Amino acid sequence: MIILGIETSCDETAAALVRDDRVILADVVLSQLDEHRPYGGVVPEIAARAHLDHIDRLVAEAFRRAGLELQAVDAVAATCGPGLIGGVIVGAMTGKAIAAVTGKPFIAVNHLEGHALTARLTHGLEFPYLLLLVSGGHCQLLEVRGVGDYARLGSTIDDAAGEAFDKVAKMLGLGYPGGPAVQKAAERGDAARFSLPRPLKGKPGCDFSFSGLKNAVRLLIQEQENLSAQDRCDVAAAFQLAVADSIAGRSAKALRAFAARHGGARSLVVAGGVAANSLLRQRLGRLAAEEGFTLVAPPLALCTDNAAMIAWAGLERFRLGQSDGLDFAPRPRWPLDPAAPRLPGAGVKA
Amino acid sequence: MPSADPAVLAFDCSTTACSAAVLAGGAVRAARFRTLARGQAEVLLPMITEVMAEAGLDWPELGLIGVVVGPGSFTGLRIALATARGMAFAAGLPVAGVTSCEAVAHGVPEVERRGQTLLVAVDGKREDLFLQPFAADLTPLAPPRALMAEAAARLAEGPVLIAGDAGERLAAALPGARLSSAPPLPDARIVAALALARWRAGTALPPDPLYLRPPDVTLPPGAPAA
Repeated sequence: MIILGIETSCDETAAALVRDDRVILADVVLSQLDEHRPYGGVVPEIAARAHLDHIDRLVAEAFRRAGLELQAVDAVAATCGPGLIGGVIVGAMTGKAIAAVTGKPFIAVNHLEGHALTARLTHGLEFPYLLLLVSGGHCQLLEVRGVGDYARLGSTIDDAAGEAFDKVAKMLGLGYPGGPAVQKAAERGDAARFSLPRPLKGKPGCDFSFSGLKNAVRLLIQEQENLSAQDRCDVAAAFQLAVADSIAGRSAKALRAFAARHGGARSLVVAGGVAANSLLRQRLGRLAAEEGFTLVAPPLALCTDNAAMIAWAGLERFRLGQSDGLDFAPRPRWPLDPAAPRLPGAGVKA
Repeated sequence: MPSADPAVLAFDCSTTACSAAVLAGGAVRAARFRTLARGQAEVLLPMITEVMAEAGLDWPELGLIGVVVGPGSFTGLRIALATARGMAFAAGLPVAGVTSCEAVAHGVPEVERRGQTLLVAVDGKREDLFLQPFAADLTPLAPPRALMAEAAARLAEGPVLIAGDAGERLAAALPGARLSSAPPLPDARIVAALALARWRAGTALPPDPLYLRPPDVTLPPGAPAA
Protein backbone atom coordinates (compact mmCIF):
# COMPACT_ATOMS: atom_id res chain seq x y z
CA MET A 1 0.00 0.00 0.00
CA ILE A 2 1.40 3.41 -1.04
CA ILE A 3 -0.07 6.76 0.01
CA LEU A 4 0.63 10.24 -1.36
CA GLY A 5 0.77 12.88 1.37
CA ILE A 6 0.42 16.65 0.95
CA GLU A 7 1.16 19.26 3.64
CA THR A 8 0.56 23.04 3.37
CA SER A 9 -0.81 24.09 6.76
CA CYS A 10 1.91 26.51 7.86
CA ASP A 11 5.15 27.60 6.19
CA GLU A 12 6.43 24.32 4.74
CA THR A 13 5.15 23.13 1.37
CA ALA A 14 5.61 19.36 1.26
CA ALA A 15 4.77 16.16 -0.62
CA ALA A 16 5.71 12.59 0.24
CA LEU A 17 5.11 8.96 -0.71
CA VAL A 18 5.01 6.40 2.09
CA ARG A 19 4.54 2.61 1.99
CA ASP A 20 2.77 0.48 4.60
CA ASP A 21 5.99 -1.32 5.58
CA ARG A 22 7.08 2.04 7.08
CA VAL A 23 9.30 2.99 4.17
CA ILE A 24 9.38 6.63 3.07
CA LEU A 25 9.73 6.43 -0.71
CA ALA A 26 10.02 10.19 -1.19
CA ASP A 27 9.86 13.15 1.17
CA VAL A 28 10.09 16.62 -0.40
CA VAL A 29 9.89 19.75 1.77
CA LEU A 30 10.23 23.36 0.67
CA SER A 31 10.62 25.83 3.51
CA GLN A 32 9.27 29.37 3.12
CA LEU A 33 11.58 30.67 5.83
CA ASP A 34 13.21 33.29 3.60
CA GLU A 35 9.84 34.70 2.52
CA HIS A 36 8.67 35.20 6.13
CA ARG A 37 11.95 36.13 7.84
CA PRO A 38 11.71 39.92 7.19
CA TYR A 39 8.36 39.94 9.05
CA GLY A 40 9.62 38.03 12.10
CA GLY A 41 6.86 35.43 11.74
CA VAL A 42 4.68 33.56 9.27
CA VAL A 43 2.45 35.88 7.19
CA PRO A 44 -0.66 33.87 6.21
CA GLU A 45 -1.24 35.49 2.80
CA ILE A 46 2.43 35.15 1.82
CA ALA A 47 2.31 31.49 2.93
CA ALA A 48 -0.85 30.73 0.94
CA ARG A 49 0.60 32.29 -2.21
CA ALA A 50 3.85 30.36 -1.89
CA HIS A 51 2.02 27.04 -1.35
CA LEU A 52 0.09 27.51 -4.62
CA ASP A 53 3.28 28.45 -6.46
CA HIS A 54 5.04 25.21 -5.54
CA ILE A 55 2.83 22.32 -4.42
CA ASP A 56 2.08 20.76 -7.82
CA ARG A 57 5.77 20.82 -8.71
CA LEU A 58 6.70 19.22 -5.37
CA VAL A 59 4.13 16.44 -5.83
CA ALA A 60 5.62 15.70 -9.26
CA GLU A 61 9.10 15.76 -7.71
CA ALA A 62 8.05 13.22 -5.06
CA PHE A 63 6.91 10.78 -7.76
CA ARG A 64 10.12 11.38 -9.72
CA ARG A 65 12.32 10.71 -6.67
CA ALA A 66 10.37 7.55 -5.80
CA GLY A 67 10.52 6.39 -9.41
CA LEU A 68 6.75 5.79 -9.31
CA GLU A 69 3.84 6.49 -11.63
CA LEU A 70 0.78 8.25 -10.26
CA GLN A 71 -1.32 5.08 -10.59
CA ALA A 72 0.97 3.34 -8.07
CA VAL A 73 -0.67 5.13 -5.14
CA ASP A 74 -3.62 3.59 -3.32
CA ALA A 75 -4.98 6.83 -1.89
CA VAL A 76 -4.29 10.56 -1.65
CA ALA A 77 -3.94 12.16 1.79
CA ALA A 78 -3.80 15.91 2.36
CA THR A 79 -3.72 18.04 5.50
CA CYS A 80 -7.19 19.58 5.80
CA GLY A 81 -6.54 21.40 9.09
CA PRO A 82 -5.82 22.74 11.60
CA GLY A 83 -3.60 25.54 10.36
CA LEU A 84 -3.49 28.73 8.33
CA ILE A 85 -6.63 28.18 6.31
CA GLY A 86 -5.45 29.85 3.07
CA GLY A 87 -2.58 27.40 2.88
CA VAL A 88 -4.59 24.40 4.07
CA ILE A 89 -7.06 25.02 1.23
CA VAL A 90 -4.29 24.90 -1.40
CA GLY A 91 -3.06 21.47 -0.29
CA ALA A 92 -6.57 20.12 0.25
CA MET A 93 -7.70 21.14 -3.25
CA THR A 94 -4.53 19.76 -4.84
CA GLY A 95 -5.16 16.44 -3.11
CA LYS A 96 -8.83 16.37 -4.02
CA ALA A 97 -8.04 17.17 -7.67
CA ILE A 98 -5.50 14.33 -7.91
CA ALA A 99 -7.94 11.95 -6.19
CA ALA A 100 -10.76 12.95 -8.56
CA VAL A 101 -8.70 12.38 -11.70
CA THR A 102 -7.12 9.10 -10.57
CA GLY A 103 -10.30 7.77 -8.98
CA LYS A 104 -8.32 7.01 -5.80
CA PRO A 105 -9.82 7.60 -2.35
CA PHE A 106 -9.18 10.96 -0.67
CA ILE A 107 -8.17 11.14 2.98
CA ALA A 108 -8.53 14.43 4.85
CA VAL A 109 -5.76 14.30 7.43
CA ASN A 110 -5.66 16.21 10.71
CA HIS A 111 -2.21 17.78 10.78
CA LEU A 112 -1.95 17.04 14.52
CA GLU A 113 -2.70 13.38 13.89
CA GLY A 114 0.25 13.42 11.48
CA HIS A 115 2.51 14.50 14.34
CA ALA A 116 0.79 12.12 16.76
CA LEU A 117 1.34 9.00 14.63
CA THR A 118 4.87 9.76 13.38
CA ALA A 119 6.46 7.58 16.09
CA ARG A 120 4.61 4.59 14.59
CA LEU A 121 6.19 5.36 11.20
CA THR A 122 9.70 5.89 12.59
CA HIS A 123 9.74 3.49 15.55
CA GLY A 124 6.83 1.13 14.95
CA LEU A 125 5.52 2.15 18.36
CA GLU A 126 2.43 0.36 19.71
CA PHE A 127 -0.57 2.20 21.22
CA PRO A 128 -1.02 3.69 23.77
CA TYR A 129 1.66 6.34 24.38
CA LEU A 130 1.95 9.85 25.70
CA LEU A 131 2.65 12.59 23.14
CA LEU A 132 4.14 16.00 23.85
CA LEU A 133 3.59 18.16 20.78
CA VAL A 134 5.61 21.37 20.97
CA SER A 135 5.71 23.54 17.87
CA GLY A 136 5.20 27.06 16.59
CA GLY A 137 1.47 26.46 16.40
CA HIS A 138 0.76 24.03 19.23
CA CYS A 139 1.74 22.91 22.71
CA GLN A 140 -0.22 19.88 23.90
CA LEU A 141 0.05 16.69 25.92
CA LEU A 142 -2.07 13.93 24.41
CA GLU A 143 -2.78 10.38 25.32
CA VAL A 144 -2.59 8.53 22.00
CA ARG A 145 -4.86 5.49 22.39
CA GLY A 146 -5.39 4.59 18.75
CA VAL A 147 -5.97 6.04 15.30
CA GLY A 148 -8.54 8.80 15.78
CA ASP A 149 -8.62 8.14 19.54
CA TYR A 150 -6.97 10.85 21.64
CA ALA A 151 -7.38 12.34 25.09
CA ARG A 152 -5.96 15.78 25.69
CA LEU A 153 -4.23 15.94 29.07
CA GLY A 154 -2.99 19.48 28.64
CA SER A 155 -2.69 22.34 26.19
CA THR A 156 -1.35 25.84 26.10
CA ILE A 157 -3.95 28.31 27.31
CA ASP A 158 -2.37 31.18 25.34
CA ASP A 159 0.76 31.07 23.17
CA ALA A 160 2.41 28.00 21.64
CA ALA A 161 5.95 27.28 22.83
CA GLY A 162 7.49 28.04 19.43
CA GLU A 163 5.52 31.26 19.25
CA ALA A 164 7.05 32.33 22.59
CA PHE A 165 10.54 31.56 21.26
CA ASP A 166 9.80 33.66 18.15
CA LYS A 167 8.47 36.59 20.15
CA VAL A 168 11.34 36.59 22.65
CA ALA A 169 13.87 36.33 19.81
CA LYS A 170 12.21 39.34 18.19
CA MET A 171 12.41 41.34 21.46
CA LEU A 172 16.08 40.47 21.78
CA GLY A 173 16.76 41.23 18.11
CA LEU A 174 18.03 37.69 17.55
CA GLY A 175 16.24 37.03 14.26
CA TYR A 176 13.73 34.49 12.98
CA PRO A 177 12.95 31.65 13.52
CA GLY A 178 13.31 32.20 17.24
CA GLY A 179 13.97 28.64 18.45
CA PRO A 180 17.44 28.14 16.93
CA ALA A 181 18.30 31.84 17.50
CA VAL A 182 17.47 31.73 21.22
CA GLN A 183 19.27 28.41 21.67
CA LYS A 184 22.41 29.76 19.99
CA ALA A 185 22.45 32.91 22.15
CA ALA A 186 21.68 30.88 25.28
CA GLU A 187 24.80 28.77 24.72
CA ARG A 188 26.88 31.84 25.60
CA GLY A 189 24.56 33.01 28.34
CA ASP A 190 24.24 32.58 32.09
CA ALA A 191 20.76 31.27 32.83
CA ALA A 192 21.16 31.98 36.53
CA ARG A 193 21.73 35.73 36.13
CA PHE A 194 18.04 36.57 35.72
CA SER A 195 15.13 34.97 37.48
CA LEU A 196 12.03 34.34 35.36
CA PRO A 197 8.70 32.80 36.41
CA ARG A 198 7.75 29.15 35.78
CA PRO A 199 4.19 29.54 34.42
CA LEU A 200 1.40 27.53 36.13
CA LYS A 201 3.93 25.93 38.50
CA GLY A 202 2.08 24.11 41.27
CA LYS A 203 -1.28 24.56 39.53
CA PRO A 204 -3.43 21.48 38.97
CA GLY A 205 -3.66 19.89 35.53
CA CYS A 206 -1.16 19.73 32.70
CA ASP A 207 -1.92 22.93 30.78
CA PHE A 208 0.83 25.28 29.61
CA SER A 209 1.10 29.05 29.50
CA PHE A 210 3.82 31.14 27.90
CA SER A 211 2.20 34.55 27.66
CA GLY A 212 3.14 35.66 31.20
CA LEU A 213 6.70 34.42 30.75
CA LYS A 214 6.96 36.37 27.51
CA ASN A 215 5.76 39.53 29.29
CA ALA A 216 8.23 38.93 32.11
CA VAL A 217 11.00 38.85 29.48
CA ARG A 218 9.65 42.07 27.99
CA LEU A 219 9.77 43.81 31.39
CA LEU A 220 13.23 42.41 32.09
CA ILE A 221 14.50 43.84 28.79
CA GLN A 222 12.89 47.22 29.55
CA GLU A 223 14.62 47.32 32.94
CA GLN A 224 18.07 46.99 31.39
CA GLU A 225 19.63 50.24 30.25
CA ASN A 226 21.52 49.51 27.00
CA LEU A 227 21.12 45.77 26.47
CA SER A 228 24.61 44.42 25.78
CA ALA A 229 25.34 41.35 23.70
CA GLN A 230 26.05 39.45 26.92
CA ASP A 231 22.76 40.68 28.44
CA ARG A 232 20.89 39.28 25.43
CA CYS A 233 22.58 35.91 25.79
CA ASP A 234 21.81 35.84 29.53
CA VAL A 235 18.13 36.71 28.96
CA ALA A 236 17.93 34.06 26.20
CA ALA A 237 19.45 31.45 28.53
CA ALA A 238 17.09 32.36 31.39
CA PHE A 239 14.08 32.22 29.07
CA GLN A 240 15.07 28.90 27.52
CA LEU A 241 15.58 27.39 30.97
CA ALA A 242 12.18 28.66 32.13
CA VAL A 243 10.48 27.12 29.08
CA ALA A 244 12.28 23.78 29.50
CA ASP A 245 11.51 23.73 33.25
CA SER A 246 7.89 24.57 32.64
CA ILE A 247 7.37 21.97 29.90
CA ALA A 248 9.19 19.30 31.90
CA GLY A 249 7.16 20.15 35.03
CA ARG A 250 3.81 19.90 33.28
CA SER A 251 4.92 16.77 31.39
CA ALA A 252 5.87 15.10 34.68
CA LYS A 253 2.26 15.36 35.83
CA ALA A 254 1.01 13.97 32.53
CA LEU A 255 3.44 11.04 32.72
CA ARG A 256 2.12 10.11 36.17
CA ALA A 257 -1.50 10.43 35.06
CA PHE A 258 -0.75 8.32 31.97
CA ALA A 259 1.09 5.65 33.99
CA ALA A 260 -1.80 5.43 36.44
CA ARG A 261 -4.20 4.72 33.58
CA HIS A 262 -2.09 2.55 31.31
CA GLY A 263 0.24 0.58 33.61
CA GLY A 264 2.70 -1.18 31.33
CA ALA A 265 2.75 1.25 28.40
CA ARG A 266 5.68 3.58 29.03
CA SER A 267 6.61 5.71 26.02
CA LEU A 268 6.84 9.50 25.89
CA VAL A 269 6.91 10.73 22.30
CA VAL A 270 8.05 14.26 21.58
CA ALA A 271 7.20 15.95 18.27
CA GLY A 272 7.08 19.44 16.75
CA GLY A 273 9.79 21.93 15.85
CA VAL A 274 10.51 22.94 19.48
CA ALA A 275 11.56 19.32 20.09
CA ALA A 276 14.77 20.37 18.31
CA ASN A 277 15.79 22.39 21.37
CA SER A 278 18.63 20.45 22.98
CA LEU A 279 18.04 21.68 26.54
CA LEU A 280 14.39 20.61 26.31
CA ARG A 281 15.36 17.21 24.91
CA GLN A 282 17.86 16.78 27.72
CA ARG A 283 15.27 17.69 30.36
CA LEU A 284 12.66 15.40 28.85
CA GLY A 285 15.17 12.54 28.60
CA ARG A 286 16.00 12.90 32.28
CA LEU A 287 12.33 13.19 33.24
CA ALA A 288 11.34 10.12 31.23
CA ALA A 289 14.13 8.09 32.86
CA GLU A 290 13.06 9.22 36.35
CA GLU A 291 9.45 8.23 35.67
CA GLY A 292 10.34 4.88 34.08
CA PHE A 293 9.42 5.99 30.54
CA THR A 294 11.32 5.72 27.27
CA LEU A 295 11.69 9.01 25.39
CA VAL A 296 10.92 8.48 21.70
CA ALA A 297 12.03 11.38 19.49
CA PRO A 298 11.57 10.94 15.75
CA PRO A 299 14.40 12.42 13.63
CA LEU A 300 14.14 16.19 13.46
CA ALA A 301 13.06 16.29 9.80
CA LEU A 302 10.02 14.22 10.79
CA CYS A 303 9.38 16.24 13.98
CA THR A 304 8.92 19.50 12.09
CA ASP A 305 6.19 19.88 9.47
CA ASN A 306 6.51 17.38 6.61
CA ALA A 307 4.29 15.37 4.29
CA ALA A 308 5.60 11.90 5.19
CA MET A 309 3.68 12.13 8.47
CA ILE A 310 0.55 13.17 6.55
CA ALA A 311 0.91 10.23 4.16
CA TRP A 312 1.47 7.92 7.16
CA ALA A 313 -1.56 9.22 9.08
CA GLY A 314 -3.58 8.80 5.88
CA LEU A 315 -2.25 5.27 5.53
CA GLU A 316 -3.19 4.38 9.11
CA ARG A 317 -6.73 5.62 8.50
CA PHE A 318 -7.00 4.05 5.05
CA ARG A 319 -6.04 0.58 6.23
CA LEU A 320 -8.85 0.85 8.80
CA GLY A 321 -11.20 1.40 5.87
CA GLN A 322 -11.57 5.14 6.36
CA SER A 323 -11.64 7.83 3.67
CA ASP A 324 -13.36 11.18 3.11
CA GLY A 325 -15.59 12.82 0.52
CA LEU A 326 -14.36 15.36 -2.00
CA ASP A 327 -16.71 17.81 -0.26
CA PHE A 328 -14.60 17.78 2.92
CA ALA A 329 -14.39 21.34 4.30
CA PRO A 330 -10.88 22.46 5.30
CA ARG A 331 -10.81 23.46 8.99
CA PRO A 332 -8.77 26.21 10.68
CA ARG A 333 -9.43 24.54 14.07
CA TRP A 334 -9.61 20.75 14.41
CA PRO A 335 -8.84 19.40 17.88
CA LEU A 336 -7.72 15.77 18.14
CA ASP A 337 -9.81 15.38 21.27
CA PRO A 338 -13.18 16.93 20.45
CA ALA A 339 -14.38 16.33 24.02
CA ALA A 340 -11.68 18.56 25.53
CA PRO A 341 -12.94 22.03 26.43
CA ARG A 342 -12.11 25.05 24.28
CA LEU A 343 -9.45 27.30 25.76
CA PRO A 344 -10.43 30.81 24.62
CA GLY A 345 -6.93 32.29 25.08
CA ALA A 346 -5.43 29.62 22.82
CA GLY A 347 -7.74 30.35 19.86
CA VAL A 348 -7.42 27.62 17.23
CA LYS A 349 -4.46 26.06 19.05
CA ALA A 350 -6.66 23.99 21.37
CA MET B 1 -1.06 15.70 -30.86
CA PRO B 2 -3.85 17.81 -29.32
CA SER B 3 -7.20 17.51 -31.00
CA ALA B 4 -8.42 20.53 -32.96
CA ASP B 5 -11.65 20.53 -30.99
CA PRO B 6 -10.76 19.21 -27.55
CA ALA B 7 -13.35 18.68 -24.85
CA VAL B 8 -12.98 21.36 -22.17
CA LEU B 9 -13.64 21.20 -18.44
CA ALA B 10 -13.91 24.74 -17.04
CA PHE B 11 -14.54 26.08 -13.58
CA ASP B 12 -14.50 29.32 -11.61
CA CYS B 13 -14.42 30.38 -7.95
CA SER B 14 -13.16 33.95 -8.40
CA THR B 15 -16.20 35.77 -7.03
CA THR B 16 -19.24 34.94 -4.92
CA ALA B 17 -20.15 31.95 -7.10
CA CYS B 18 -18.87 28.53 -7.96
CA SER B 19 -19.45 27.05 -11.39
CA ALA B 20 -18.25 24.17 -13.55
CA ALA B 21 -19.01 23.17 -17.13
CA VAL B 22 -18.01 20.70 -19.82
CA LEU B 23 -17.84 21.87 -23.43
CA ALA B 24 -17.49 19.21 -26.13
CA GLY B 25 -18.10 19.20 -29.86
CA GLY B 26 -19.02 22.88 -29.76
CA ALA B 27 -21.79 22.46 -27.20
CA VAL B 28 -22.07 22.75 -23.43
CA ARG B 29 -22.71 19.15 -22.32
CA ALA B 30 -23.21 19.84 -18.62
CA ALA B 31 -23.04 22.87 -16.35
CA ARG B 32 -23.61 23.87 -12.74
CA PHE B 33 -23.70 27.35 -11.21
CA ARG B 34 -24.19 28.26 -7.55
CA THR B 35 -23.91 31.62 -5.86
CA LEU B 36 -22.19 31.34 -2.51
CA ALA B 37 -20.03 33.72 -0.53
CA ARG B 38 -17.86 30.98 0.96
CA GLY B 39 -17.49 27.22 0.89
CA GLN B 40 -16.18 26.81 -2.67
CA ALA B 41 -13.53 24.42 -1.32
CA GLU B 42 -16.37 22.03 -0.40
CA VAL B 43 -18.56 22.56 -3.44
CA LEU B 44 -16.11 22.66 -6.37
CA LEU B 45 -14.93 19.03 -6.64
CA PRO B 46 -18.39 17.43 -6.30
CA MET B 47 -19.61 19.93 -8.92
CA ILE B 48 -16.80 18.93 -11.28
CA THR B 49 -17.42 15.20 -10.87
CA GLU B 50 -21.13 15.84 -11.50
CA VAL B 51 -20.59 17.71 -14.78
CA MET B 52 -18.05 15.11 -15.93
CA ALA B 53 -20.53 12.32 -15.22
CA GLU B 54 -23.46 14.16 -16.80
CA ALA B 55 -21.38 14.91 -19.91
CA GLY B 56 -20.51 11.20 -20.04
CA LEU B 57 -16.82 12.00 -20.24
CA ASP B 58 -13.89 10.26 -18.65
CA TRP B 59 -10.69 12.16 -17.85
CA PRO B 60 -8.65 10.80 -20.79
CA GLU B 61 -11.32 12.19 -23.14
CA LEU B 62 -10.69 15.76 -21.98
CA GLY B 63 -8.27 17.93 -23.92
CA LEU B 64 -8.16 21.14 -21.92
CA ILE B 65 -8.89 22.66 -18.52
CA GLY B 66 -10.19 26.22 -18.50
CA VAL B 67 -9.99 28.30 -15.33
CA VAL B 68 -10.46 31.88 -14.16
CA VAL B 69 -7.10 33.16 -12.85
CA GLY B 70 -8.44 36.41 -11.38
CA PRO B 71 -8.81 39.11 -10.41
CA GLY B 72 -11.15 38.29 -7.53
CA SER B 73 -11.20 36.68 -4.10
CA PHE B 74 -7.66 35.52 -3.29
CA THR B 75 -8.94 32.38 -1.58
CA GLY B 76 -11.33 31.66 -4.46
CA LEU B 77 -8.54 32.01 -7.01
CA ARG B 78 -6.38 29.59 -5.03
CA ILE B 79 -9.23 27.08 -4.73
CA ALA B 80 -9.73 27.00 -8.50
CA LEU B 81 -6.04 27.19 -9.43
CA ALA B 82 -4.86 24.51 -6.97
CA THR B 83 -7.60 22.30 -8.42
CA ALA B 84 -6.67 23.10 -12.02
CA ARG B 85 -2.97 22.54 -11.39
CA GLY B 86 -3.59 19.30 -9.49
CA MET B 87 -5.78 18.06 -12.34
CA ALA B 88 -3.27 19.18 -14.97
CA PHE B 89 -0.59 17.16 -13.16
CA ALA B 90 -2.75 14.08 -12.68
CA ALA B 91 -4.40 14.04 -16.12
CA GLY B 92 -1.51 15.47 -18.13
CA LEU B 93 -3.76 18.22 -19.47
CA PRO B 94 -2.96 21.78 -20.51
CA VAL B 95 -4.62 24.62 -18.58
CA ALA B 96 -5.92 27.76 -20.27
CA GLY B 97 -6.46 30.73 -17.97
CA VAL B 98 -8.88 33.58 -18.61
CA THR B 99 -9.67 36.65 -16.48
CA SER B 100 -12.83 37.12 -14.45
CA CYS B 101 -13.43 40.42 -16.27
CA GLU B 102 -13.24 38.71 -19.70
CA ALA B 103 -15.64 36.00 -18.55
CA VAL B 104 -18.19 38.62 -17.43
CA ALA B 105 -17.64 40.71 -20.59
CA HIS B 106 -18.40 37.73 -22.82
CA GLY B 107 -21.79 37.39 -21.15
CA VAL B 108 -22.86 40.88 -22.26
CA PRO B 109 -25.27 40.71 -25.24
CA GLU B 110 -23.94 42.15 -28.48
CA VAL B 111 -26.92 44.47 -28.82
CA GLU B 112 -26.07 46.19 -25.52
CA ARG B 113 -22.39 46.59 -26.35
CA ARG B 114 -22.83 48.25 -29.73
CA GLY B 115 -21.12 51.66 -29.80
CA GLN B 116 -20.13 51.42 -26.13
CA THR B 117 -16.95 51.00 -24.18
CA LEU B 118 -17.55 48.14 -21.74
CA LEU B 119 -16.11 48.47 -18.23
CA VAL B 120 -16.18 45.31 -16.15
CA ALA B 121 -15.90 45.88 -12.39
CA VAL B 122 -15.21 42.91 -10.11
CA ASP B 123 -15.63 43.33 -6.36
CA GLY B 124 -12.30 43.07 -4.56
CA LYS B 125 -13.77 43.38 -1.04
CA ARG B 126 -11.76 46.56 -0.54
CA GLU B 127 -12.16 50.23 -1.36
CA ASP B 128 -10.77 49.79 -4.84
CA LEU B 129 -12.31 47.68 -7.61
CA PHE B 130 -10.85 45.29 -10.14
CA LEU B 131 -11.50 46.94 -13.49
CA GLN B 132 -10.93 46.09 -17.13
CA PRO B 133 -12.12 48.05 -20.20
CA PHE B 134 -13.23 46.37 -23.43
CA ALA B 135 -14.11 47.68 -26.89
CA ALA B 136 -17.63 46.99 -28.19
CA ASP B 137 -16.30 43.86 -29.96
CA LEU B 138 -14.83 42.66 -26.58
CA THR B 139 -11.21 43.38 -27.50
CA PRO B 140 -9.53 44.19 -24.15
CA LEU B 141 -8.38 47.83 -24.13
CA ALA B 142 -6.10 47.33 -21.11
CA PRO B 143 -5.22 44.57 -18.67
CA PRO B 144 -7.28 44.31 -15.44
CA ARG B 145 -6.21 46.72 -12.71
CA ALA B 146 -7.11 47.51 -9.11
CA LEU B 147 -8.46 51.06 -9.16
CA MET B 148 -10.69 53.38 -7.18
CA ALA B 149 -14.07 53.79 -8.86
CA GLU B 150 -13.37 57.54 -9.30
CA ALA B 151 -10.27 56.76 -11.39
CA ALA B 152 -12.27 54.56 -13.76
CA ALA B 153 -13.50 57.51 -15.83
CA ARG B 154 -10.02 57.74 -17.33
CA LEU B 155 -10.26 54.17 -18.62
CA ALA B 156 -13.18 54.77 -20.97
CA GLU B 157 -14.03 57.29 -23.64
CA GLY B 158 -17.46 57.94 -25.08
CA PRO B 159 -20.58 56.07 -23.94
CA VAL B 160 -19.86 53.55 -21.19
CA LEU B 161 -21.60 50.28 -20.39
CA ILE B 162 -20.87 48.69 -17.03
CA ALA B 163 -20.96 45.02 -16.00
CA GLY B 164 -19.73 42.89 -13.08
CA ASP B 165 -20.62 42.41 -9.43
CA ALA B 166 -19.13 45.82 -8.50
CA GLY B 167 -21.02 47.42 -11.39
CA GLU B 168 -23.37 49.42 -9.19
CA ARG B 169 -20.50 50.85 -7.16
CA LEU B 170 -18.76 51.86 -10.36
CA ALA B 171 -21.94 53.30 -11.89
CA ALA B 172 -22.35 55.56 -8.85
CA ALA B 173 -18.97 57.13 -9.67
CA LEU B 174 -19.57 57.37 -13.44
CA PRO B 175 -22.61 59.54 -14.14
CA GLY B 176 -24.12 58.77 -17.52
CA ALA B 177 -22.84 55.19 -17.68
CA ARG B 178 -25.42 52.43 -18.21
CA LEU B 179 -25.57 49.13 -16.37
CA SER B 180 -25.64 45.99 -18.51
CA SER B 181 -28.37 43.39 -18.07
CA ALA B 182 -25.67 40.66 -18.22
CA PRO B 183 -25.12 38.27 -15.31
CA PRO B 184 -22.68 40.02 -12.93
CA LEU B 185 -20.64 36.91 -12.04
CA PRO B 186 -18.42 34.72 -14.25
CA ASP B 187 -20.03 31.47 -15.43
CA ALA B 188 -18.03 28.33 -16.31
CA ARG B 189 -20.07 27.86 -19.53
CA ILE B 190 -18.58 31.11 -20.85
CA VAL B 191 -15.18 30.35 -19.32
CA ALA B 192 -15.06 27.03 -21.23
CA ALA B 193 -15.70 28.62 -24.64
CA LEU B 194 -13.38 31.52 -23.93
CA ALA B 195 -10.59 29.26 -22.66
CA LEU B 196 -10.85 27.12 -25.79
CA ALA B 197 -10.75 30.15 -28.09
CA ARG B 198 -7.79 31.65 -26.23
CA TRP B 199 -5.96 28.31 -26.20
CA ARG B 200 -6.43 27.87 -29.94
CA ALA B 201 -5.22 31.42 -30.55
CA GLY B 202 -2.22 30.86 -28.27
CA THR B 203 -3.31 33.74 -26.03
CA ALA B 204 -4.46 31.81 -22.96
CA LEU B 205 -3.01 32.87 -19.61
CA PRO B 206 -0.89 30.44 -17.56
CA PRO B 207 -2.57 28.95 -14.46
CA ASP B 208 -1.02 31.60 -12.20
CA PRO B 209 -3.13 33.80 -9.93
CA LEU B 210 -3.76 37.38 -11.00
CA TYR B 211 -3.94 38.93 -7.52
CA LEU B 212 -3.27 42.56 -8.61
CA ARG B 213 -2.47 43.40 -4.99
CA PRO B 214 0.54 42.56 -2.84
CA PRO B 215 -0.12 40.63 0.39
CA ASP B 216 -1.67 42.92 2.99
CA VAL B 217 1.30 43.14 5.33
CA THR B 218 3.79 45.79 6.37
CA LEU B 219 7.42 45.24 7.27
CA PRO B 220 8.28 45.86 10.92
CA PRO B 221 10.24 49.11 11.44
CA GLY B 222 13.92 48.75 10.75
CA ALA B 223 13.52 45.41 8.97
CA PRO B 224 15.53 44.87 5.80
CA ALA B 225 13.50 44.66 2.57
CA ALA B 226 12.36 41.18 1.57
